[in-house]
Amino acid sequence: MAAVNILATRPQALRLPGHWLIGGLAGALCGIVLLAVGIGAVAITPAQSLSILAELIGLDVGVPFTEQQQAVLLTIRLPRVLFGALVGAGLAMAGAAMQGVFRNPLADPGIIGVSSGAALAAVLCIRTNGWLFGKAGGMLAVYQLPIAAFLGGSLVAFIVYRLARREGTLSVGLLLLAGIALAMLAEALRGALIFAATDDQLRSVTFWSLGSLGAASWVNLSMVAALVLPAMMWLGRLARPLDALLLGEAEARHLGFDVTTVTRLAMLAATLIVGATVAFAGIIGFIGLVAPHLIRLAAGPSHRTLLPGAALLGACLVVLADLLARTVVSPAEMPLGVVTASLGAPCFLWLLLQERGFRS
Amino acid sequence: MMLEARQIGVIRGGKVLLDNVSLTLLPGHVTALLGPNGAGKSTLLKVLTGDVTPTYGAVYLDGRPLEGWSLVDRARRRAVVPQESSLAFPFTAFEVVLLGRAPHVALRETPRDVAIAQQAMARTRVDHLAARAYPSLSGGERQRVQFSRALAQIWEALPDGSARWLLLDEPTASLDLAHQYKAMAVVRQLAKEGVGVVVVVHDLNLAAYVADEIVLLDRGRITAEGRPEDVLTAERIRAVFGLDVIVTPHPHHGRPCVVPLYANGE
Amino acid sequence: MMTLRRWCAVVGLISLGLGILGAGSGCRRDVTTQAAVRTVTDAAGQPVAIRDVSRVVAAGGSVTEIVYALGAESLLVGCDASSLYPEAATKLPQVGYVRALSSEGVLSLRPTLVLTVPEAGPPEALAQLRASGVPVLVVPAEPSLEGVKKKIRAVAQALDRAAEGEALIRQLESDMAQVQSYLAGRPARPKVMFIYARGQGAANVAGRDTAAAEMIRLAGGVNAFDFEGYKPLTAEAAVAAAPEVILLPARGLESSGGIAGVLSMPGVNQTPAGRNRRIVAVDDLLLLGFGPRTGQGVMELARLLHPENTSEK
Repeated sequence: MAAVNILATRPQALRLPGHWLIGGLAGALCGIVLLAVGIGAVAITPAQSLSILAELIGLDVGVPFTEQQQAVLLTIRLPRVLFGALVGAGLAMAGAAMQGVFRNPLADPGIIGVSSGAALAAVLCIRTNGWLFGKAGGMLAVYQLPIAAFLGGSLVAFIVYRLARREGTLSVGLLLLAGIALAMLAEALRGALIFAATDDQLRSVTFWSLGSLGAASWVNLSMVAALVLPAMMWLGRLARPLDALLLGEAEARHLGFDVTTVTRLAMLAATLIVGATVAFAGIIGFIGLVAPHLIRLAAGPSHRTLLPGAALLGACLVVLADLLARTVVSPAEMPLGVVTASLGAPCFLWLLLQERGFRS
Repeated sequence: MMLEARQIGVIRGGKVLLDNVSLTLLPGHVTALLGPNGAGKSTLLKVLTGDVTPTYGAVYLDGRPLEGWSLVDRARRRAVVPQESSLAFPFTAFEVVLLGRAPHVALRETPRDVAIAQQAMARTRVDHLAARAYPSLSGGERQRVQFSRALAQIWEALPDGSARWLLLDEPTASLDLAHQYKAMAVVRQLAKEGVGVVVVVHDLNLAAYVADEIVLLDRGRITAEGRPEDVLTAERIRAVFGLDVIVTPHPHHGRPCVVPLYANGE
Repeated sequence: MMTLRRWCAVVGLISLGLGILGAGSGCRRDVTTQAAVRTVTDAAGQPVAIRDVSRVVAAGGSVTEIVYALGAESLLVGCDASSLYPEAATKLPQVGYVRALSSEGVLSLRPTLVLTVPEAGPPEALAQLRASGVPVLVVPAEPSLEGVKKKIRAVAQALDRAAEGEALIRQLESDMAQVQSYLAGRPARPKVMFIYARGQGAANVAGRDTAAAEMIRLAGGVNAFDFEGYKPLTAEAAVAAAPEVILLPARGLESSGGIAGVLSMPGVNQTPAGRNRRIVAVDDLLLLGFGPRTGQGVMELARLLHPENTSEK
């Protein structure tokens, strides 16, 4: 597979040591989370925020706050900010892993078709007015859209995986082609469904695809976390195999790594992460592509730093982007996907310009 | 303690790449696989490394079939230097060599692993490239780094005393003349330390210099096997390679020297 | 691989179960009963207790319209992006599109009541509003005359303007009576094709069981298509249906490039409506909102379908 040699020439002397980067990003994330929790449409002063949070652990700081402020902070903002961090971390890590598996810095986490499958399933659900689950009633009906999106994404990823299996081994070239082919097919079907949709349904679909953290609640957060956190842990353990994989599949095998199992695990983890995040947050672009690049630029391509670094950076980026989304047109909100795209595209251009500078 | 290929046949898409090839390789020996293009040298090497599953026949390592060995166990004993290797991401040369320690590393690389990687780079004289980004190196430099990586992989003798193996697929393709012979000198030293080496080369003289045994392949079959002076005869070279040569003993070390014959202007 | 997949499935099921349990137990707060608490039944048949209507957020164009029509606009502190009538509504703080409300945005307006329609979403936002102690009343919104009356009554009840609500309903009934008398001498029922246009190239037509079909029926026309819901416009279908009039919402007509644009749509030129250039438009909210001005909308449409100067005997 032809690889694009972006960032090929930065000398090691300019790299940040891994521990500093991780530590710094972790600190930045804490700061950004606190900042984001303290800012929003409802007026809550920083002192009140701290007071509300302190009360959680039984401390009385003496700053008064209303019950509504407490409700807003604890049941609206806090789960939303944490959800954003989780989404950002998961997408960035999945993106880094897919870039490693496909040995291509342009891979994004949806490359195996999960996002397209999830989007198709979501449109199907909206178009049929939840016919599939609505009849069942109860919780199933409430969660019909996320369930449909998750199942759709997983189904497409599974089909891609089966298509790429050949005599017991997994061909990365076939994975890529199958992923592209199925994504195109899913887009075509989605277009057909949208074409025959009513105005209302079309708007629902559009809003869903633009991405939003508005569906964040403690319940949803725990469901997504239950899927995303284990997947992220698996990916963390794939750091060294992914490094070896970059040398080439044959070389990785010579070094003792079972390439097929590593690829399968990475795919499964990415499917879980992207499926779960897309199900509740819609399509959030650029994070999975840009965060790994930035970490590589700063600290080199070793996955032991790249995976946790990308996760932390992705979390910071999404929380910041959501903060912008919530405040720029307050009391309305901008869709998160629009903010990440608006920030991500120039960022990518900047990366390219940086690379041009290094090459010359 | 040996690496054996027993009656290996490889047929792909109707084409016979290898036909009933049997080979026994011993540690401490350097075996060179020679032959014209398409003779099956690389295919045979890939069968020995386990990358290609033969259509019939099997490879045995220390008496057990290769399939029976786990990938990690194989990796601890046997290192492979590939013909070419591209890398899409800017690892440093040192990081690439350190990856060679992967089969021996449990959780994190130890200072000992780091030291071994440094020594491996020194041995192949690429230590000055340690901090350079691998994709920015020339083809020859990359090959020498890959060679260091393989050395790092089998640097230490194994606790159970089993043999170490080094398989090289045209390791000198991008190297300049001096580095070709320096690399082969390292290979000979390794053999003296007990490593079993199999190397695919094109250059007959290089093969004569480095090998204890030469295996000459032609169209998927072994045409000759033995010491360089026994295999490299003018008749055989003409028959297999289609070139007229004179084979004369080297003035200093007595190994065969192959000199092509050609008339002026032809 | 099998064990991994199975493990995932187990984890997923457990978390789903936990989630269901968690959501079931919920964090609803009891609204303490005080004097003058009104209970209104919402679209789902659930009772909603309303105490204080001093700060109302209306999400949904027709609901906002009703609030203004009831003379209760002083209670409004915010509305959504689809609330475009009357114009004064567009000057209010906006909380997003009705399907993508921002719960914190709504809360920042310190509302005491949220009036909205069944399409409102996301469900988590509504749940968060309720959990913060703000009653959310989802008024019924069936696209029919009865539905409009129920909607008006629900909003009126919520805002304690029952008398004004009944007045609106009587106005609606008198508007409809006017329509009946207008149509009395006009027995013809022209075939109408309703086009939902979305910019260049994408056009859908309405079948039965749509808001448009109901308006056409009330205005003394017949829907040209009998299938359910919406389908893309095709030349063959248009010609086969042979509509005598083509109807569009006003903004749809504009976005299609006016009458010329509609004439260039597939098959339109070969329909009676196209040949006679009988292409009409009515304001979007008036035509499809099913709000208090429904009667006026029907009248306007009736006049368009049965022009005054033609005799139909």
